[in-house]
Amino acid sequence: MSTIHRNCEGVARRDFIKLGIGAFAGLGFTNILRQRAAAATIARALGKPTPSDVRCILIWLDGGPSHYESFDPKPDAPREIRGEFKPIPTKIAGAQFSEVFPKLADVADKLAVLRSVCHRDPNHGGGNHYMMTGAPTPVPVGCGAFVTFHPSYGSVVSFKRGIKDGLPAYMSLPTMSRSGGPNFLGAQHAPFVIGGDPNRAEFKVRDVVLPAGVSEERAESRRTLRESLDRLKRFSDTAADDPAMGFDSFYRQGVDLVTSPRAQAAFDLSKEPAETRDLYGRTDFGQRLLLCRRLVEVGVSFVTCYYGGWDHHTKIFTTIKDTSGPKLDRGIAGLITDLSQRGLLDSTLVICMGEFGRTPKINKDAGRDHWPHAMSILAAGAGMPGGQIIGATDAKGYYASDNVHSPEDLAASLYTKMGIDPTQMLQNSAGRPVQLVNGGHPIKELFA
Amino acid sequence: MSLRVLVIFFASVLLIAMSASIARGDDRGISFVNDVLPVLSKAGCNAGACHAKPEGQNGFKLSVFAFDPKSDYRSIVKDERGRRVFPAAPRESLLLLKPTHAIEHGGGERFKVDSDLYRLIERWIEQGMPYRQPGDSDLVSISVSPGEQRYQKKSATALSVTARYADGSSRDVTNLAEFASNDKEIAKVSEDGRVMVGDLSGEGVVIARFMGQVAVSRITVPADRMLADDLYAQLPVNNFIDPLVYARLAKLGLAPSKTCSDSEFIRRASLDAIGMLPAADRVRAFLEDRSTNKREQLIDELLANPAYADYWTTKWGDLLRPNTQRVGVKPVYLLDQWLRESFRENKPYDQFAREILTAQGSTHQYGPVAVFRDRREPADVVTLVSQVFLGVRMECARCHHHPNEKWSQNDFYELAAVFGEVHRKGQGISAPISGEAEFIWFAPGGDVRHPLSGEVMPAKAPDGPVFDASNKQDPRAAFAGWLVRADNPFFARAAVNRVWGELMGRGIVDPVDDLRASNPPTNEALLDALAKDFVSHGYDFKHLIRTILCSHIYQLSSEPNEYNMADTRNFSRSYRRRLSAEVMLDAICDLTLVPETFDGLPPGSRAVQTWNNKLDSNFLDAFSRPNSSADPPCERDRGTSIVQALHLMNSPKLTGKISDARGRATALAKSDLSPEQIVRQLYLTAYARNPDVEELRIATGAFTESGATRQSATEDVMWALMNSAEFVFNH
Repeated sequence: MSTIHRNCEGVARRDFIKLGIGAFAGLGFTNILRQRAAAATIARALGKPTPSDVRCILIWLDGGPSHYESFDPKPDAPREIRGEFKPIPTKIAGAQFSEVFPKLADVADKLAVLRSVCHRDPNHGGGNHYMMTGAPTPVPVGCGAFVTFHPSYGSVVSFKRGIKDGLPAYMSLPTMSRSGGPNFLGAQHAPFVIGGDPNRAEFKVRDVVLPAGVSEERAESRRTLRESLDRLKRFSDTAADDPAMGFDSFYRQGVDLVTSPRAQAAFDLSKEPAETRDLYGRTDFGQRLLLCRRLVEVGVSFVTCYYGGWDHHTKIFTTIKDTSGPKLDRGIAGLITDLSQRGLLDSTLVICMGEFGRTPKINKDAGRDHWPHAMSILAAGAGMPGGQIIGATDAKGYYASDNVHSPEDLAASLYTKMGIDPTQMLQNSAGRPVQLVNGGHPIKELFA
Repeated sequence: MSLRVLVIFFASVLLIAMSASIARGDDRGISFVNDVLPVLSKAGCNAGACHAKPEGQNGFKLSVFAFDPKSDYRSIVKDERGRRVFPAAPRESLLLLKPTHAIEHGGGERFKVDSDLYRLIERWIEQGMPYRQPGDSDLVSISVSPGEQRYQKKSATALSVTARYADGSSRDVTNLAEFASNDKEIAKVSEDGRVMVGDLSGEGVVIARFMGQVAVSRITVPADRMLADDLYAQLPVNNFIDPLVYARLAKLGLAPSKTCSDSEFIRRASLDAIGMLPAADRVRAFLEDRSTNKREQLIDELLANPAYADYWTTKWGDLLRPNTQRVGVKPVYLLDQWLRESFRENKPYDQFAREILTAQGSTHQYGPVAVFRDRREPADVVTLVSQVFLGVRMECARCHHHPNEKWSQNDFYELAAVFGEVHRKGQGISAPISGEAEFIWFAPGGDVRHPLSGEVMPAKAPDGPVFDASNKQDPRAAFAGWLVRADNPFFARAAVNRVWGELMGRGIVDPVDDLRASNPPTNEALLDALAKDFVSHGYDFKHLIRTILCSHIYQLSSEPNEYNMADTRNFSRSYRRRLSAEVMLDAICDLTLVPETFDGLPPGSRAVQTWNNKLDSNFLDAFSRPNSSADPPCERDRGTSIVQALHLMNSPKLTGKISDARGRATALAKSDLSPEQIVRQLYLTAYARNPDVEELRIATGAFTESGATRQSATEDVMWALMNSAEFVFNH
């Protein structure tokens, strides 16, 4: 098994060669889609996903969700620890979730629940950085800080896979997460941010579709006009290093994207049947996850769905029970169900986490405070065996106690799942070697 | 075939050299410091990716590039209960079993059993692992031969490296040195020091490195055909810059491009001096002006424009502006105001630097203090000061000897000691607000120690004097005094190079803040002359900018000729560059006549007037404004990207500007102007030129398309111009 996850990129490559499928780069957008579809069919036929085509949806619960109130309830702990929620059974034998998550409990056979990832940074700034990049901050970073010392997962994926055929490889909805930037990988690997609320009728994905008020015919005639008026002389000799050549290439890719009906349909949520939209919940978060699915489906490699407000220092029970819990429950369960029904779960890695868990003792404001020593992470897809609990915390939920993993282990798992060697070196702008992941081993239970 | 023979020949020469130099160890016994460490370095054991990682590799840790010999000795001889070396049976030592891959080794085979490297280590273990030998002498310097040479294209030569020791002895260390080429298109260099020249003419440098010492071999590859001398003699000379560049071009057989047109000049100079497109009326007047000195007049006019201060503040803000969420809004705002004031009054650069370096007072009253609120450790100040004011990247030497330069940790922490007596009182950093004031001042006391030796470091300038600590004066003032002396080797050169890079699209040394022997200027004489002129004119930025803009070199076309197509660094033509984020946004606002609104700034503010990189703006993000949360602060990425193309094409906000009822397109459409006049107006505004006949025909044709209205056609032409390379680039 260890050989599989160490060499998974190589294995996948060989299969591709055997099947006569070339690299994607340089083909038109429609061709890409066709080839991706073919690759997915073949992957299904072979019964395994191909890591270099796995995409990731990272659901980022900013603020740090409580493990007690979600996926690691401690009903036998004293009252001041266990909280107000009752546990419910799940599709994983013997495992319980909090009562707020019945729909997730019902799809738990497709989930891997990690209860033993932990670290030591109790600040939002540092915790965000550690969990969003796999690297701790080299200096202590306060709660309010938005920092980047190391490229985020999404930026690394964009850097390794390249930006193909007009589609940014890394997107973030509806905002960038604190440490979700590219650092030394450069601005072209920053996330493409899609703001706005897709649950509203007038919502449009910005920039990749025509703006409201510009018809396709008008856009077409504008492009024709531009083509004949864009007359700055180009120097095609590569030795001349003419930056206008690069601009042309990006512009052509952009036009390709805008004129591909299939790509355009992908960005249009109104094309989705009402039942599917209902499945995710008619909320901003639910519809964002649906958009995430459409984006990975069309070939975006990494999408972060940012969902803030999990810093429950006060009123943790009412907030989770009344608003954020049900939204999350319906949204993620809908996503897992939908991906699975479409046969996309094998090629899509879904991870849901925040920067840390929360304190065992309930504070005077009916809240819990920051606690990096224990947290719960949901993972699914990309060929991982579902229906399992990985690791455990102690009886009262204070510390990860069994099969304990570092954020580096999680990072190594994520990269390995996506066909990126976590042990590789990158070079920062000063020419200094930087390890993609500093130590860390893929978590073996996540690999079949 | 001849290549193969050559390779074999050089390989044999090297083998002979290798045995010769290693054998020398026999006479006087083998020393860990002088003999074994160089072998481990050459074998790559202490590379940053291997055992010199911060946590080592598999429990075995070496210092990167052997900067800490004592710790390396301890790791090898003392740790792991001595398993790494086994004097009773040297060949059973891990230090020999691992690198020969006799047992599992993640790094594979580094050298072979019984190779010279192997035998040297074996004999050292037999001799009882001496740290040094009685006669050992300290390494003083290395030299590489040939130090400078002209090469034919596609030719090759072998370099040799000699180490010199304090006792006057020397030794051939070619086989133990490491080599790197600064420009692989000019020349490549093999692991054993063989230079292979490519098929471009130009200059390059090969760096040889041995135990913390660096030496360079300069490579010149002249053009195949040289141009006649009188070609250069006939070229226009506007000031001292021109002959210095021509001399360089003559040496490389490059012919400069023709002079740029008046339209190209007014657009380029306006964008470069004040970050704005010239207004259509100004362009028209300039094109009609028949006076011979109209370009000089325009330059003076631009430098007197108030937009000058905002534009250059943006550039210096990139270097100095801290993260508002870390340092607080007020200190960052005050620093920004100080910068704007400095550029408005054209503050001499020496005074500018001195005011920052010696800043004290309240973060809520005096802008430059923000730098010291942000950079709280003396070492953090060094990184900034060395990069901004010395043009030298010393950051590497914080943790280990600089890999490509002579800078050691001593140099780094001596400079840090200059900032060791800065004291702080009041609220420290309390992100994300840091709302309260902090007071920062000098007072005697506050040691900076070397991180390895623990020794208290004297305050000293790199390659400069020690600042006397006995007089209880602020060493920062003494440092600033040293910095701005006319003969300072760094200060003026770094400044003129930075400004040259901003105006020409590339530094004479590039990157502009990486001056070092191993990254030489492409035109040393030019760099020196600019620096001298800058100093003798009282560090006057406007004088410097005027001088560069007035030169004929600045006024060359960006269109290459058959001789200079491949020149991307000797300034034989103007290099195209994308408009920076703020300038591009302002240009679009000027073209559409619909201003942007920014949080916290009065209506009508321009993007170059923003002072907080945290302002929400998809546009500024797409066009790569720097991210002040990043550490190290990232440079501006001047490249193009798919996100930029899509944003220009489809952004609802930009589309809205074009069709805005208050905007230019609407005003033109509602005016009495003919389609031809509308098109001319748009061309003058966007491109600072008149359209040619063909362009007029195509663009006015948009007005007669079926279904087109004056409004829609004006919008479409504006959109097409804005989405074209001629708009996106300064050319």
